[in-house]
Order: sequence, then C-alpha cells, then structure tokens
Amino acid sequence: MRIMIIGGGKMGTSLAQSLVDEGHDVTIIDRSEAVLQKSMDSIDAMFIKGSGVSTETLTEAGVQQADVLIAATAGDEINMLACLTAKRLGAQYTIARIRDPEYLSSLPFLQKELAIDYVVNPERATAREISRMLRFPFAGSIETFARGRVEMVDFRAAEGDPVVGVPLKEMYKKNRQLPQVLFCAVERAGEIIIPKGDFVIQPGDRVHVVSDVATITRFFEALGKGMATIRSVIIMGGSRIAYYLASMLLSMKVKVSIIEINPEKARRLSEMLPGADIIEGDGTDQDLLESEGLADAHAFIPLSDRDEENLMSGFYAVQRGVKKVIVKSSRDNYSAIMHQMGLDSIISTRVVACNTILRTVRSRASRSFAAVERMYRLMNGQAEALEFIAQVGDDYIHVPLRDLQVIRDALIAVIVRDGQVMVPFGNDTIEAGDYVVVISRRAGLSNLREVFR
Amino acid sequence: MNYKLVFRLLGRLLLMEAALMVPSLAVALIFREGDVMAFVYTILLTAACGAAPSLLLHPDREDLTAKDGMAVAGLSWVILSFFGALPFVFSGAIPHMADAYFEAGSGFSTTGSTILPEIESLPRGVLFWRSFTHWIGGMGVLIFTLAVLPRLSGRTSHLARAESPGPTFTKLMPKMGDTAKVLYALYIALTAIEALCLLLAGMNLYDALIHAFGTAGTGGFSNYNTSIAAFHSPLIEWIIAVFMMLFGVNFAMYHHLLHKDKDSILHNEELWVYLAIVAGATLLITVSILPQAGGFFPALRAAFFQVNAITSTTGFSTADFNVWPLFAKSILMILLCLGACAGSTAGGFKLSRVILLVKSSFRDLRHTLQPRKVAVVRMEGKPVNESTLSQVGVYLFLWLVLAVAGTILLSFETDDLVTAGTAALTCLSNVGPGLNGVGPAENFSFFSAPAKLLLSFLMLAGRLEIYPILLLFSPNVWKKN
Repeated sequence: MRIMIIGGGKMGTSLAQSLVDEGHDVTIIDRSEAVLQKSMDSIDAMFIKGSGVSTETLTEAGVQQADVLIAATAGDEINMLACLTAKRLGAQYTIARIRDPEYLSSLPFLQKELAIDYVVNPERATAREISRMLRFPFAGSIETFARGRVEMVDFRAAEGDPVVGVPLKEMYKKNRQLPQVLFCAVERAGEIIIPKGDFVIQPGDRVHVVSDVATITRFFEALGKGMATIRSVIIMGGSRIAYYLASMLLSMKVKVSIIEINPEKARRLSEMLPGADIIEGDGTDQDLLESEGLADAHAFIPLSDRDEENLMSGFYAVQRGVKKVIVKSSRDNYSAIMHQMGLDSIISTRVVACNTILRTVRSRASRSFAAVERMYRLMNGQAEALEFIAQVGDDYIHVPLRDLQVIRDALIAVIVRDGQVMVPFGNDTIEAGDYVVVISRRAGLSNLREVFR
Repeated sequence: MNYKLVFRLLGRLLLMEAALMVPSLAVALIFREGDVMAFVYTILLTAACGAAPSLLLHPDREDLTAKDGMAVAGLSWVILSFFGALPFVFSGAIPHMADAYFEAGSGFSTTGSTILPEIESLPRGVLFWRSFTHWIGGMGVLIFTLAVLPRLSGRTSHLARAESPGPTFTKLMPKMGDTAKVLYALYIALTAIEALCLLLAGMNLYDALIHAFGTAGTGGFSNYNTSIAAFHSPLIEWIIAVFMMLFGVNFAMYHHLLHKDKDSILHNEELWVYLAIVAGATLLITVSILPQAGGFFPALRAAFFQVNAITSTTGFSTADFNVWPLFAKSILMILLCLGACAGSTAGGFKLSRVILLVKSSFRDLRHTLQPRKVAVVRMEGKPVNESTLSQVGVYLFLWLVLAVAGTILLSFETDDLVTAGTAALTCLSNVGPGLNGVGPAENFSFFSAPAKLLLSFLMLAGRLEIYPILLLFSPNVWKKN
C-alpha cells in the first residue's frame, strides 16, 4: 500500500520503519531537512521536505494515490488539518494523532467534520494499557484476544515454580493439578523462542502463556502468583498519561497520588482530578517518596518525560519492595537489561501508538475479510501475536491440524469457537467464524491463509 | 568496515557479473571465433570467486553503514573491472593484463578509450563483451543488483548514491528497489529503441547492438577502427547523435514524461542549460569548420555529432576533430570537462554542479556589495542547502587535483602537454578520445603499464564521482569495526 506519514519524529520514523519492513511504499513529509537527513540512510522510503498541510507538498508526494495518510506531527491542530486536506485531495484513509485532553470530548464531532477516519491518542492508549496491567500485578503485560475471552500473559519464571525444569510435554503428566495453558513464547537473553515439546523453562525466563481468562487465573493461583488487587497507586510526573490514568483509576475506586514538580501543572491537575492527591515536589527525591508512603503503596508508576528518572525511581521502588512497578521508557533497546534488573513492566507510548496504527493499516492492507483483528508485538517486534477470524471457503477450514503445514516459526495458540476456548491438538480443526490466535516470529502476516504452507 | 558483509555483497556482485557474461558467451557460440572457452573459463572463475563469500561468510550485522556502502561501491568497480578483463586475456585478444584491465575499466566506466590499434580482427564475442561492459557500467551494476535482488541489506541508499552521478540522488519511487527497476526499465527501453532505429537505418543486428550499448552507456567503443565514420551513412550519424543527446538527459525526465508530469520537465533548469549548450556549441563549431567541411549540412552534421559525442561523454567519432581549428577544439575540450546532466549515464563534472557553482559565485559576488543581504541559492525554484553548495566546491577541488596530478604523472610518458592533459581529462570525464597523441584517430597503446593503470584509476574515479575510489586509500575505511 502507499502510505504517507506527516512528521518524521520518533513516532513517524518508527512507524515508517515497521511499515517498510512489511513491504509498503512509504513517503515521509517533514519540514526539517535535518530530521529527514537523519532517517534517509536507514529507512527505504521517499522523503519530501515541506509542510504536511500544504496542498503543493501533499500533491508532490502523491496524496491522490495514498491509501493511508498518518499525521503524526507534534501539533494536534496540524494533524487534523493535514488529514482534512489530504482527504479532500484524494487520500483513502486518514489517521491523526490527537493528544490534547481538551479535544477528548469533541473528538466524535471533529472526526466527522474533518474527515478523520481514525484517531490515535498515544497517551490515552498507554494509560489504558497501564490500568489493565494494574489489574494483574503478577504479569509483565496482558494482551486480550477474542473480545476479551482469551488472554496472553507473560511472567518471569522463578526458581521452584512447578513449570521450571520440566520439558513442556511432560509438565502436565507430572503435575495433574496444573491448569492447562499454552506456553506460546519464551524470552531468554534478549531472544524470543517459540517453544516445542522438549523445551525446558529455566528460572529467569519470561514466559508468555495463552488461555481463557478463568484458566489463566487458576494457572497463576497454582503457581502461587495469585491475584492481589491494587488499591493505592503513586504516579510520578503529571504528564498527559498521568491524567488519563488517574481518571481511569479513580473511576475504579483506586487511591491515586500524583507527584508533580511544576507548581502550575500540579495546580491544573488538581483542578481536573478532584479525587486525586496532587503533591507538588520532585518525584526522584527519595525522602519525598518515603513520606508519601512509597513502601505501603501497591503500585508505583513513574511517568515523567525523562526516561532516566523513570528508570532510577523505578529501580528504587523495586528495592523498597513495591509490589508492582510500571516504568515508562521510550528506549525499547534497553528492555533486556531492565528485565534483568527486576523491572518487568515497561511501557512505551510510542510502541503502544505504533502497534495501534500498524494494526489498523494491516487490516486495511488485507483485501479479504480475514484481516488481522488484533496484533501485539513481543520483544521489540521479534515476534507477534495475531488474532484472525477464519473465513468461509479458505483451504484450512475443517482440516485436522495435523494435516496442515504451519510455516516455520509460527504456532497456532488457541482457537475460540462459540465462546469456547481451546488449546488445539492434532485432531482439532478450524471452522469458519473461529477466532484463531497465532504466534509468529515472522513479521507482517496479514491473513490466516499465510500461516499455512 | 564490516568485512564479512562487504565481501558477501561483493560476492553477490561477482555472481551477477558472471551472469551478465552469459549473453557474450552466447554471441561467441554463434560466431565461433575461438573465444568460447575464454568466456567459459571466466564465467566459472568469476562465479566461483563470487559464490565462495556468499556461502562462507555470515555477517553478524546486516546493516550497511555509510562507510561499508562506500567501500562496496569503490571495491566492486575495481574488482568487476579485473574479472571483466579476463575474457580479453584468456582469448588472447589483449594478452597483457595491464592492457586488458585498461580496456575493461574503460568499458565499465563508459570511457571508451582503447589501447587497441586494430579492432576489426578481434573475435566478435570479445567485442560484444567489450561493448556490453559499457551498457552495464552506464546505469551501474549496483543499481542493477538492487533492481534484480529483492533485498541486499537494510540500507541500500548508500550504494545507489555512491553509484549514481550528480550532487544529489533523488528516488523516483519510495523503495530503492523499485527506483532501480524504473531506471533499468527506462534504460532497456531506450537502448532497444535505438537498436531498432539503427537496424532500420541499415546496420546488421550485431553492429546495431554494439553501437546501441556504446551510446546507452555513453561509452563509445565501436567494433570498427574508424568508429561511426565506417558506415558512411549520414542517417546513422544523425540517429546516434540524437541518442547520445538523449542518454545525457537525467533519466528522471523520462519517468516524468511517462507520467505526463509536464511541470517537472519544464522547470528542470539543468535540462534547458544542457540543450542550450548543445545548440550553442553546435552552431559555433559549424561556423568554425565550415571552410574545411565542404558545405553547411556536412559541417552541421559533423559539429552536432561531435558536440553530442563529447558532451554526453560518449566519445564516438565521425571525423578526426584533431585537424579542426583550435577554436572548435577548445570548445570541445570545455564540453569534455562539463559533461551532461546528473542522473544520466554520462560522465564529466555534471551540469547541475556547474549551475550551482555559477549561481553561488554570483551570490557571493553580490554579497561583497551588500554584506548584510541574506540570499539563498535556488535550483528549480527550491532553495539549495548550504552543505550541498560546499560539497560541490569540494568536489570541484578534488576533480581539479586529480586532473592536474594525472597530467603531471603522464608527462613522464610524453613531451606533449596537450596529449598528457587531454588524456587525463578524457579519462576523468569518461569521454574516450582526447587531442594530439590521444586524438580520435589515435589510441592509448603507447602508454606504459603503470600509466595505463593510472588512467584506469582516473576512469573509475570519474565514473564513481571520486569519493568511493579515493576513500579506498583511507586507512579508516579498512579499519575493522
């Protein structure tokens, strides 16, 4: 597909790289020559210098033939205007990044009037992601499939866990009480492995398991990592994510404290969030954290704009024994080191937003209806978890799985039929209308048919 | 330098070269003039040398840095010329390696200078290969590889930039591979059209292909001792002259033409300057040679042909311009330095650089009168980066350094400054003939082996626009990282 990206910032380039890797023709428009020069060598895309709202630039970039236009500049208003202009000039589908909370209530109106097909609010999406992670404190991340029936959860295997040291195929023979989940991916030393039957989990591995919600819950209870509800949260930094997250948590009756260093920001937050404690002060100050009850907090979430501060405070909170620490960091290349140092839950606004957009683009890219319903990337995109709906008339329908050849480095994780979740075995079949979750090390699958040889 | 990656890429390029020798082998098989085994041996040797690194080396990192890209571009041309010289040696057509390397380098760099005093007696397979190297070298073997192979490595823009002539490289399509495909499609189409025109004008298929290759790559090898003059056909001369002019135009223009993008063509300053220079020089030379040419039309034809042959850096000849008046020769020598448009197959300094230099000179002159005035240099109505301008200045300096150094070194070989100077210039500009001792009726065989290698170096440096070749001498490039 022909995709135009307006704004070559962090999000623009990271999106462009993923889209080029998936084989799309990408054109990036940015006003700064320096920004374009930086990406020109590494990304195989077309680069055009100019303003994304100028009809001249857009026409030069070929907006008439664009299948998707993504406006990801720093300014919400520019993004909206770029989408409107592009749509009028002939772009098929427009995506705008809009982040200001003040536009939140008027979004449906704006979307309709300005012909924006899809709005991405990275901060809000990130906040939603964090609030989901807080509901399952033992997990590094939780992704849902099949309209929430299936979950993929990852956790760190520890010494003494019943899953450690046993080949996967013998695990359920040895331990009959263990609820049956599918071990779909394991991260070890920065590599992602799709485990086979003779794979042995070692302490320190990050294990991704998939099953229906109830089984997952029982599985973790059996592991002794049962649920513990989070009732109080300290957030460091009064960013937009903090605002969205606090409002979500407050509606769930969780006690929220936000530490913000800037007095004006702190005041605005306290105006906007009547139920939260807003503390004016430096969130990296350990005395302040202690006096605000860090040791008793159920969760600590550093969300400041500086990754380093977030990481340091995060490590400190882990040391102090806070049950759940979620750190915001935009550098995904450090995630392996962070995992080693005990920070399991790292979230990046850019990654969340890119995943949302990639999912949208990919479902448009696939002409048939067997498009990707959901897509998550594991370990910087080393692997992907994808959800498809099986289509009438496809070749794989009603064929026992053992007779189907699955491509290398891919795994059918679960099949959901009429609300029933099953971990598939050789005799099972895929029927039309089933939700199918696939884990794959090959990026860019856009259709269930591509999973089979 | 990431040795494993660089050598693997070079290996792929050698495999590509082996494949590109197959048509010449086919020609040799058709005519059976004793050169079949030369091609068989070369293809086997080249393929073996290419396959070894592709099979044995597994680079840890796949991304090509700027340094690796430069190294691949520079080394590949040096190595391709070496293997390209083997059919000449193995067939006995050119027994000495230095001579054969000169000939192959002259072919790949689309120069067209030759060390052969007698061409017509050589086997036709070898002659076909000699001209085919022009065609490969014209658009570039790296670009060809990018077009044919799906993905060499993540970062291929370094490669394309190193190989395509001009101050800046513009992609025609978002993907490098697609841009390369478009360029080669246009190239093949134009070559085919020319070959067809030459066939209709009375050439046989073999001659038509040889001369179409020579024109398309703006090389200038002919299979006749007297070049195009051998055909005694004004029609053929006009056809080749017009196509030489067409191949000196930026290929992006043909892409715009196909997409009916009139504005991009009309606003292309370089194109109009190019056409104006061709028209002006033709007129001046016509007038200058009128007394000796025997009539206005023969003079016009000879002038138009020779102006295009030199401006497009092809170097075919229909007349011995060495006997023309000094005025006409001076104009030809200026054209020889300027070259044609960026993004074409032509060599030389490139007109877009000249335009930028002229414009920035005017700006700086005006600046001394109005020191506070802020002025930008514009090209096609768009402001040009200051860094691009300074790069053009540096390029001019390096170009002059090579030309002067080449002239001084060649002065050990000849007593004639014009011979030494035009030999260095014609090789650096990838034209072919020079004046006096290296004039269109002469050849380069009298130079010693070291001088031939020096000229080969100048030809490759000119074709790759200096940097990739010059950087091969920098220890920094060879440092392992």
